[in-house]
This record gives sequence, C-alpha cells and structure tokens, in this order.
Amino acid sequence: MSGPNMEYVFPKRWKIRENRFQYFRAHVKSKKGKRPYGLSPLQNSTVAEPTPRFLLLFTFYIYCREMEEDDQQKLMDLVKELVVRLLSQKGPNSVPQDPGSPQFHASLRYALRILSSHLAPSAAADADAIAESIKRHLSNHGKSSYALAFADLYTKFASKTGPGSVNNKFGVLHLLKIISEDRISAWNEVNSPSLLPNLECLDAEVGDRWRVSHERDNGVSLVSKDAESFRKVAFKEYADLAKEESEVSEELLVRDVLYACQGIDGKYVKFGTIVDGYILPDMVRVPRATRTIVRKLCELGWLFRKVKGYISESMDRFPAEDVGTVGQALCAALQDELSEYYKLLAILEAQSMNRIPLVSESANSGNYLTLRRLSVWLAEPLVKMRLMAVLVDKCHVLRGGAMAGTIHLMAQHGDPLIHEFMKRLLTRVCSPLFEMVRSWVLEGELEDIFAEFFILGQQVKAESLWREGYRLHTGMLPPFISNSLALKILRTGKSINFLRVCCEDRGWAEAAMEAASAVGTTTRRGSLGYGEKESLESLVDEAAKRIDRHLLNVMYNRYKFKEHCLAIKRYLLLGQGDFVQYLMDIIWPELSEPANTIGSFKLAGLLESAIRSSNAQYDEQDVLNRLRVKMMPHSTGDRGWDVFSLEYDPRVPLDTIFTESVMAKYLRIFNFLWKLRRVEHALIGAWKTMKPNCITSQAFLKLQQDVKMQLLSTLRRCQVLWNEMNHFVTNLQDYIMLEVLEVSWLNFSLEMEAAKDLDDLLMAHEKYLSSILEKSLLGERSQSLHKSLFILFDLILRFRSHADRLYEGILELQTRTGESSLASKDKNKLQRHKNDGTLENGSWTTEGRKGLTHRASEFLRNMKRDLDSIAKEYTSLLEGFLSQLPVQQHIDLKFLMFRLDFTEFYSRLSLKKT
Amino acid sequence: MDPEAARTARESLDLAFQMSNILDTGLDRHTLSVLIALCDLGLNPEALTAVVKELRREPFSSAPVLPPSSFP
Repeated sequence: MSGPNMEYVFPKRWKIRENRFQYFRAHVKSKKGKRPYGLSPLQNSTVAEPTPRFLLLFTFYIYCREMEEDDQQKLMDLVKELVVRLLSQKGPNSVPQDPGSPQFHASLRYALRILSSHLAPSAAADADAIAESIKRHLSNHGKSSYALAFADLYTKFASKTGPGSVNNKFGVLHLLKIISEDRISAWNEVNSPSLLPNLECLDAEVGDRWRVSHERDNGVSLVSKDAESFRKVAFKEYADLAKEESEVSEELLVRDVLYACQGIDGKYVKFGTIVDGYILPDMVRVPRATRTIVRKLCELGWLFRKVKGYISESMDRFPAEDVGTVGQALCAALQDELSEYYKLLAILEAQSMNRIPLVSESANSGNYLTLRRLSVWLAEPLVKMRLMAVLVDKCHVLRGGAMAGTIHLMAQHGDPLIHEFMKRLLTRVCSPLFEMVRSWVLEGELEDIFAEFFILGQQVKAESLWREGYRLHTGMLPPFISNSLALKILRTGKSINFLRVCCEDRGWAEAAMEAASAVGTTTRRGSLGYGEKESLESLVDEAAKRIDRHLLNVMYNRYKFKEHCLAIKRYLLLGQGDFVQYLMDIIWPELSEPANTIGSFKLAGLLESAIRSSNAQYDEQDVLNRLRVKMMPHSTGDRGWDVFSLEYDPRVPLDTIFTESVMAKYLRIFNFLWKLRRVEHALIGAWKTMKPNCITSQAFLKLQQDVKMQLLSTLRRCQVLWNEMNHFVTNLQDYIMLEVLEVSWLNFSLEMEAAKDLDDLLMAHEKYLSSILEKSLLGERSQSLHKSLFILFDLILRFRSHADRLYEGILELQTRTGESSLASKDKNKLQRHKNDGTLENGSWTTEGRKGLTHRASEFLRNMKRDLDSIAKEYTSLLEGFLSQLPVQQHIDLKFLMFRLDFTEFYSRLSLKKT
Repeated sequence: MDPEAARTARESLDLAFQMSNILDTGLDRHTLSVLIALCDLGLNPEALTAVVKELRREPFSSAPVLPPSSFP
C-alpha cells in the first residue's frame, strides 16, 4: 500500500469501517485538495484551526470507538483544556496560552494525532496489579513510607464506587505510573551530556516507517514512541529467527519429551544407545539451546528406564527365587511412586495439547506448555526419580535385611523431601522383615525361604540345639535394630524352639499370647511397621521375659536341674563323704590290680553296695540311676587307679548344660579329688599300723640299747614324716573341699537364683566349673604346680609302702625274737630275736641272738636311710611347692598357704637356708 | 449531579491528586481532573501520557524544523 492509505493498517475485521473511511477520505479530498500529511505539529502554518483532515481522522477514531454525540463534544473540549493546561505549565517563563495562538492549534493537532494512533492498551486492565507494581517500585527505591501512604490512598480510592467516582481506575493509575516514569527518564535525559537529536521530527519519520514495517497478517501492531518499542522490535526479530531455525515446532518437541519421560521413543527424540540417553538426532534442525534443554529434560527418561527396568527384572526373577520378599516389597513401593509420576505426566500431556502462543503475541497465563514450563514442572519428579535410580543401583545386589539397612542409611538425609520419601519406602520394605521377627518371637517359626532374615538356623542334634542351632547373621541385620535387641530376639525364638523340641512342652504358646496382648498387638500378621521401634522393642521384651521365665520354670521344676547339679556335686565331686569313704574302702584292693584284669561289672556291684550302705540310699532313684562306673581307655602298665572314674548321665534337655566337654571337666576334677582321697586313705592306713600298740611297745623292752636307740629313732623318724605328710594332705583336702568346692557352689546357687534365662544359667555354670578348676590347680597356668603336687602324692604313696615294710619288719622281728626265746623256753627272749631281720623276708635262718640283733640293726639302718631320703625329697618338694604358691597371680592361694604354713615353720626353714 | 456524587468525585480527585504527588508526576489538580475525565471517556491512558509528555517538553524542541517532505 502506498499513499495516504499507509497511515493506518486496520485489522481485517474492520473492513466495514475501512470502507467508511475510504468514503470519508474521498469526501475530504474532493473538498480541500491534497495536503502533506506528515506536517510537524509545530511548524509554522497558516492554519488557524485544526485541519479538517485531522478532525476527520479523530472523528473516525471516535466513531470507531462508538461514542455518543455529546460525549464527542465533551471529549474535544476536554482535550482542548488539557492542551491549554499543559502548555501553560511548561516553565516559569511560560505565558498562559490563549486558545487562539497557532502554537496552541499545532499542539492540539499533535495531541489529536497521538490520541488517535493508540488503539489498544499494552497491558491487562488490572488496577490492583498496577497499584502493586507502583508500591513495589516505590519500596525498591527506598521510599517505603511513600509506598505505605500510596497503599493507603489506593485502598480508599478503589473503594469509591457509584456516581461521581472514577470508573476507569486502571486507566488513572496507569496514567500516573507512566507519567512519573517518563518524568524520571526525562530528568535523566536532560542531565545526560549527550544532546538528543530532534526527537519529534525523528519520531515522525520513524513512527511512519515503523508503521510501515510492522505488517502482519494476524496481529495488530503496537506503535508507541518511547524506548519500549526498541525492545519490542528486537523481540519480534528474534521470534522470526527462531521460527526459521527450528523445523520442529515447540509443541511437538514438548510432546516428544513427555514420551521420553515415560521411556518411549518419540517422533524426534529417540534413545541413543551410544550416548546412553534420549537425544534429538543431528538431522533434526533445532537451535542449540533447544537441543540442550531437551537433553536435560530427557535425563528423566533415562532414570525412568533404569527404575522400570529394575522393577520388571525383579518381577521376572521372582519365580526363580532369586529376589526375596524384601525385594518384592521394594518393587511394589517403587511402583506406587511411579504411579504418582504417571499422574503428573498425564496432566502435563493434557496441557501440552493447548497451542503455544507465538512470541509476539500477548502471553497471558493460559494453559500452555513450553519446554521451559515443562522443565519447571519436571524439576521435582527429577529429584525423586534420581533418588529412586540411586536406590535401585545400590539395592541391585542386596537382599533382605542388608537391603533394608542400605535404604535406612540413605534415609539419614537432611532434606525433608528425601527423608519423607525414603521413610515411605522403608515402611513398605521393612514389613516383611518385621513380620518375620514377629513370627519368630511369638511362635519360634523361621519362615525364611530366601535367606533374608538375620537369624540362621541349622539342623543339629537335640543336645546342641541351644548352643549351635541358631545364630545371628550380622550381614542381614539392619542398622535400626540394635545388637542387644537382636540378641534378645534370637534368644526368645531359640527358647521357644528349645522348649518345643527338647522339653516337649507346649506351655510357651500361652506365654506368647500373654506377651502379645500385653503389648497391644495381636499374634496375627501385619501389626508392626518401620518407625514403630518402641512397639517392636516392647513386644520383644515382653515375649522374652515371659518365655524365659517359662523356660526356667520348666528346667527347674520339670527337669529338676538344681537337684541334678547337687547330685553331681555330691557324687562326682565327692561331696557325700560317707559314701566315698565306704567306696574307697571296698574298692581299694580291686583297684590295685592291673587295669586289664578288672571287670567293670564287679566295680558296678561294689558301687551299688557302697550306695546302699551309706546315706546315698535315701536319694532319689532317678538320680541314683544315672550314677555309673566308667572305665577309661587304658594301656598296659596301668593300674586300676588310673582308669577308674564315676560318671553321671544327664539326659535331654539337661545335656544342653552338661555337654560332653563339661562332663570331661567334671571328670578331671573327679580324678584329682579321687587321687587326693587315695593318698589320704593311704596315710590313714599307715596310721593304723603306726599307732602305738603292744607289738612295738613290747619291742622296746627286750632289745639291746643301741638297737633300741636305732629302732626308736627310726620309728620316730617315721612318725615325724607321717605327721608332716598328714598335715599337708589333710590341709590340702580341707582346702579343696571347703574353700574351693563349697564356696564355688554357694556362688553358683546364688547366681542360679538370679538367672533370668538359660544363657545366664549356662554362663553361671561355666563360671562355677572354671573357678573350681583354677583353684584346685588344674588350670593351664598352674601346670607346674600341679606336676609338683602329683610328685608329692607319689612320694607319699612310696612312703606308705616304706612304712608298711618297716612295720612288717618290726613285726617279723618280734615274732622271730619271740620264736627264738620260745626255743630257749624263755618268753622274754622272744623279743630279742625279733630284732634280727633282713630285708628279704623269706631267707630267715634261726640264728643266735647276736645274728638277730645284727640283722635287725642292719634292717633298721636301711630303713632309716630310706626314710631319710624320702624325708629329704619330701622336704625339698614341699618347699618347692610352697614357694610357688604365693607367686601364682591368677588364683588366690593365700588360704592354702595359710593352712599349710600356719606356724610359718616352712618359711622360716627356707629363710634359714638362704 | 447530586451532592453525594459530587462529594465522591471530589474525594476521588483528592486521593488521585495525593497519589500523583507521591509519584511525583508534576500534574496539578486541574490537569489531573481533565485527564481523569478523558480516561473515563475511554481514551487510552498511554496515549494521554504521550500527549502529556510531548506537550510538556522544553522550549528548545519548539524551534521550527522542517521535516523532510518525503511523504505523499
């Protein structure tokens, strides 16, 4: 278009009006002839009034605005008034204008031109928004008191409605705002050094040119004269460029991205296996910024694929029993989260159907979806999906409690979003675990097909059920179950199984139900959850308490554990003195034989008779039945003493406590005590022969002086030695019986009272046994002491045999002396001949008194020498033994020292020597 | 106009005048009333501001400069 028609570009819908305009124009043209249009408003012209053209244009404008006639006149008057006012305000040296000056008319024309060229406002007609922006502008520039005042005024202004008030409040506010902004920019302009060119002419030109160049077929051009239009022009050019560059529209890209977020290849966005991500292939021509943002948004699609892949893989693998119940629960929880994600995607897809307005159009807040808006929407799902993908990576190879533990560790995060998310997942994931705990604790059932629980069971014999049947698997123990709680859980379930298998007891079911009702849960499924740690702990506590108590009751009452322990103490630890004495008496001659000639049947018979003749016969039959003789495996050269022992037969379930190793320990103690008894018995036997009797006393009277002296000294030596040995053995025996056995037993019975469960009881019993072992010098660290003790015992036994021989010799001497005196029909001489004697009993020849005496003295000298050697050995050994006693640091032997060295005889002896 | 409407109109004008003072627009009461009336009649406020700005400009721009008469 050219010519005057280029002044206005109407929207197509105004075709009718355009026709009318043409009519008017023709009318004007015919009247007045052509005039240049682009006159400067202030040019000196001879026009006194606004040209009809302007008036026409303005009238047309008003017509287009569909105003009333009288309003039109009012309008003109007002405009004139405005121009007058403005012109008179121009400066301090301005003169008030009169309506007749040419300047005024020029200004008026100009004003009308401006007014008619603006046809549409450039912002939404929202008075409140304008007021808000003004307030913000004021407070941003530090005038917050003004902002408050303005707010106050605006509320009052806006509340005025009805006749007489301002109808177009928006317009007024907009007006004020722009005027104030213009003033500020005008101030800045005036103060800037560069002089601005002649704006109005330039404006006139440029305004025309702009009006020319902004032809669009579907938009109305905005024309304004201030700097904002520069920005608008630039923006429009950019929109053109963008349109040229991309061959794919943004809507299609958005839709493709949404498909990618569900793991499906779109029309343009496909999954590139090399780069392992969703990308736009290079063939598709899009600007690089779009490519980058598409790539970023499609990270969500990659993560989604990963998570979905894991879920479907687990679902497939489940029948092959590779994925456990915990893994299944995790998949279910992840699927729930994904369904939330799907919901969001569905909403976004619905929105993406709306057309995206072009850059140049007014972008109101309608429902449309650009890539940028999509990136805002997808920010939060991206975070969640990343979490899920990390989770999937970590839990890929884990199962059971380890998986729960990993998720729990990931949940220890400061961000509340992540924490909440993980907690939700954990609640689902831990429910199978907690279910297993519940059934284990209340019923002893271990239903763990996939090996996910932290308690492992294995098939063992009944007697090792308690110790080895079940154990903790720390790899599967999640960190939110503490170690002590896990041990308690283990013990409770173990007790139930123990009761069921070994004790054949059904009473634990009531105990379990009581426990459950005390806590408030039921014995059915699904009543515990993650995060309810207190309820889990209280359930386990209650169950443990009740079941332990029940178990101990069963042990004590039904199986009479205490009684059996006492019986073992009485028989195996030689507590029943009269029984032991009698047994020793009758079994002594048997055991002196070599080991392979002894029949155990005979020994059993002897045991029976021993029981029957002592107080042991009043004991319970059940206990006595378990007491038996045991012959240990023997080699040649062993005497009966080395292989004999007693044993006690604990049956199920007591053999949990009295295991093989425990009984072996008892055996060791029994052997030691038995040997001690044997030595004691030997000494007592020696005493029987050594006590003063008529044989020896009579020997004194009939002998020569020197032999008498010899005899006396020998006897004395023997007696002294016996006394020492007796003192030692008696004190040792007393020490062992009283201070070791009785004290340990007392401690043990106290601990038995205080024991709360079977583990406590086992430990108490272990402690009891080990203390006995240590204190009776049978422990590992007392080996040297033990050895020296046994050497002492052997020595004592040798002494006994020597003493026996001595007294036998004396007796024989006496008989010989008596015979020889009888031969001389002198009873008194009998004794003298007795002094004869050699060591060989068999080779006696009746000799005269001299020979007898000689032989007696020789015999006695030999004996004395032997006794002396024994005595010396004994003393040195004993000294060695005693010196080692205080050095022992791991046991407290001061009481033994005290007893043995009561008068400090030995310590003074050793002091004297050194 | 009835006195009620007149009072409302006066008060509105007062408020608008105070607001324009806060915003430092430099308009006096009378001009402001004219502008408000023009706005009410439906004119574009941006156009009005353009008018105000142009007509307020300093006298240097009022020197007569002939525009190139390249327009038909």
